Amino acid sequence: MIFNEIYSMLAYYLPPKANLIASALATFVLILIVLIATPIILGWVDRKFSARIQSRYGPIYVGKFGLLQNFADVIKLMGKNFVTNQYVDRFSYNLIPILSSALSFLLIALLPFGAPSLTFISLPYNLLFIYILLAFSPLLIIIASWGENNKFAVLGGFRSAAQITTYELALIVTFISIGMVNGSYDIINVIASQSLIWNIIYLPLTAVVFFIGSIAVIERAPFDLPESSQELQAGWRIEYSGLKYGLFMIGDYVKLLAVSILFVSLFLGGWSGAFLPGIIWFWIKTVVALMFLMSLRWSLGRPRIDQLLSIGWKWLLPLSVINLIIVEVMMLI
Amino acid sequence: MNDFTDKLLKAFPNGLKASDGGTIELTDKKKLLKVVERVRKNFDILFMLTVVDRPPNFELNYVFSKYEGRDILILRTLIKHEESIDSITNLFPSADWEEREAYDLFGIKFDGHPNLKRILLPEDWPGHPLRKDFVVTDEIKNWTGLDLKF
Amino acid sequence: MEGRGIELNIGPVHPATHGVLKLVADIEGDTVKNAKVEIGFLHRGKEKIAELRYFNSYFPIVDKLDYVGALNWEILWASTVEKAMNLEINDRVKYIRAVMAEIQRIMSHLVYIGSFGQDLGNLTFFIWALRERELLMDIVEEISGGRLAPMYNRVGGVFYDFTDGIADKINTALSKIEEKVKKEYRAMTYENSLFIMRSKGIGIMGQKVIKENGVTGPNMRASGIKRDLRKDEPYLVYDKVDFEIITENDSDVYARFMVRVREILESIKIIRQLLKDMPKGDAKISAPWIMKVPAGYTLVRHEMSKGEGAMFLVTDGGLKPYRLKIRSPSFYSLQALPLVLEGCKVADAFVITASMDPVMGEVDR
Repeated sequence: MIFNEIYSMLAYYLPPKANLIASALATFVLILIVLIATPIILGWVDRKFSARIQSRYGPIYVGKFGLLQNFADVIKLMGKNFVTNQYVDRFSYNLIPILSSALSFLLIALLPFGAPSLTFISLPYNLLFIYILLAFSPLLIIIASWGENNKFAVLGGFRSAAQITTYELALIVTFISIGMVNGSYDIINVIASQSLIWNIIYLPLTAVVFFIGSIAVIERAPFDLPESSQELQAGWRIEYSGLKYGLFMIGDYVKLLAVSILFVSLFLGGWSGAFLPGIIWFWIKTVVALMFLMSLRWSLGRPRIDQLLSIGWKWLLPLSVINLIIVEVMMLI
Repeated sequence: MNDFTDKLLKAFPNGLKASDGGTIELTDKKKLLKVVERVRKNFDILFMLTVVDRPPNFELNYVFSKYEGRDILILRTLIKHEESIDSITNLFPSADWEEREAYDLFGIKFDGHPNLKRILLPEDWPGHPLRKDFVVTDEIKNWTGLDLKF
Repeated sequence: MEGRGIELNIGPVHPATHGVLKLVADIEGDTVKNAKVEIGFLHRGKEKIAELRYFNSYFPIVDKLDYVGALNWEILWASTVEKAMNLEINDRVKYIRAVMAEIQRIMSHLVYIGSFGQDLGNLTFFIWALRERELLMDIVEEISGGRLAPMYNRVGGVFYDFTDGIADKINTALSKIEEKVKKEYRAMTYENSLFIMRSKGIGIMGQKVIKENGVTGPNMRASGIKRDLRKDEPYLVYDKVDFEIITENDSDVYARFMVRVREILESIKIIRQLLKDMPKGDAKISAPWIMKVPAGYTLVRHEMSKGEGAMFLVTDGGLKPYRLKIRSPSFYSLQALPLVLEGCKVADAFVITASMDPVMGEVDR
């Protein structure tokens, strides 16, 4: 864990008690930096990348190459008033942004950042806990859309919950397949057992299922129907304004990074690779996965909600179960 | 098309008369539905309905067209300002919105129209603007649409 | 308002509808039971204004009817007044007008397919379609001085003749557009499975609905009716050009999209032939600025980018029209819309409305 690393680094300079406090503070600051930097950097990459796909420039004025644009946007969001409908249910309305973004922050804290010791929280059953965090969203969404007291929000919230519930079933089957092939539910062990052959070669179907399923669970396009700005304006987030809306957006980008890191760790071998140190391989693979994920939003249209759900039930879930069966058979041989 | 017009004129000798440029004038507006029934056999849609205000009459020009070839038929009829006329929506459903527009802008009432409401102007707007005797009154100048009267 | 249905107001101010159109839909579950269309939010009284303006001063008003394909209406108005005055126009002017009409048809179809892709969630495609339209907008600006409202025609001719070298520029722009339509648009839309999934089998408008409601134009041709005023009642120089009428047979949203994509390619063919055959000489203007038009009734109809448009002009021998009635094709497409929307899903309601290509400037006048 990062805490341990910092503790051992500072052990030369500080007595044990002061060391504990100093390392705790340093870890806290580090995670804050990661959480703040992620949406800013990813947001900038998203905007520039999408702009170049669309033959336009993207942000160019604020800072060199528009690097400070998202900074400016976050500051603007923080300065906005909380315009609230007077009929909302205050408790659930205000609780959900905090809970939802806290869940995504927790998600990032469980994942390794390039080396076995670079995790913020280390748990022996990483993968299952990550699944629980991803699968918790439908409940929060339903509470939020109910609390907002708005016809459109309720429609969007139900669609969103239905979509996430469908696709997370395929995800759990995927995780089970990984656990069976690699013998452990700890991401570190999964990566370690891929040092010779990457999982994607054993489990190509599972990789596809995981990829599609995870995009649907984090509600990124082309599966962002609940938030589709063409029909139900901002879906179930319609009554949120200012920083509460900003928290949802930050949560979205953090989840995007988390899913890319997960994909790389589970299927592309994590930090295993020749010639270069593992951490560089890890980040190269993560960046490639991230760019691919981002480009999907800007090149594909959006399926309708019933088509979305039918893809999930008729294709993804059976495919993942078939893959599980194949894996079991392979293990027996 | 000309022999169709001739047949039409022969079938209604005292309700129709030929006018310039191939147009037919309907002199008895009670025969409108029967004439339009005959027209239906050859033409598919009401292409447009032009109302011209020639005080004290309204002149309605029905233009019929069809989906093959270039034939059109213009049927003209005169009604007085306060009269109403039969709606041809049962025979030509494409006349629905055209007749509503004529009601909206001129105030002509069509008997038998399924939904004779204003279409282009707001529903509580006073006056019928395309009449030649239309004057911008104070009520129109002060109309805001905020106090809905229905 | 009976049962458990919700009454949903879509519009008039909604980022997804095309202009100010209001749909009141009765929804039960995810299906639209019936829908009512309300128009009139952009009514500017153009027919009344016609009675107050000289014939040549009416062109700025006509431009704003179909604001994505303005030159088509300008040419129609000029042709109407010229027919009322029995005026003959120069051959070169006819070719110039035909070229501009076809260019505006391509621009209108590009806006349609761009905003249609946007309705399906594909924002990139919208910007690409507008990027192609920019190439043609620059040409229109070089010829006439205006991008969106060119005001290029006058009764008896056009204001400016084509500049030197414009034919080459037009050909370059057209080749670029043709290449993009055949390659990039194919991958993004008509051979993209997400697009096909969202548009095939949806919004079927049968021939009966079309023939009852007076729908014309690409919407009609998507159901197999082979009719185009450029061939059935040729005006300008369309009888000297070789092109086909594009039809599709499925009459669903996908067919209406494909008809317009293929019409872009046909228009490119037409423009290339016209530019080759254009007669040299002067584009002379054959009428004064303010003129008297003899009394009578004049009806002229042309094939606009959205269907058959017509103007019925009633004159009384004075300097201004006595009555002008404008027949716009989108008016009739919207009249047929409630019949097509019955029984569709809510998400498809937007897609179907967009596929009818209504431009509210034309509908409300």
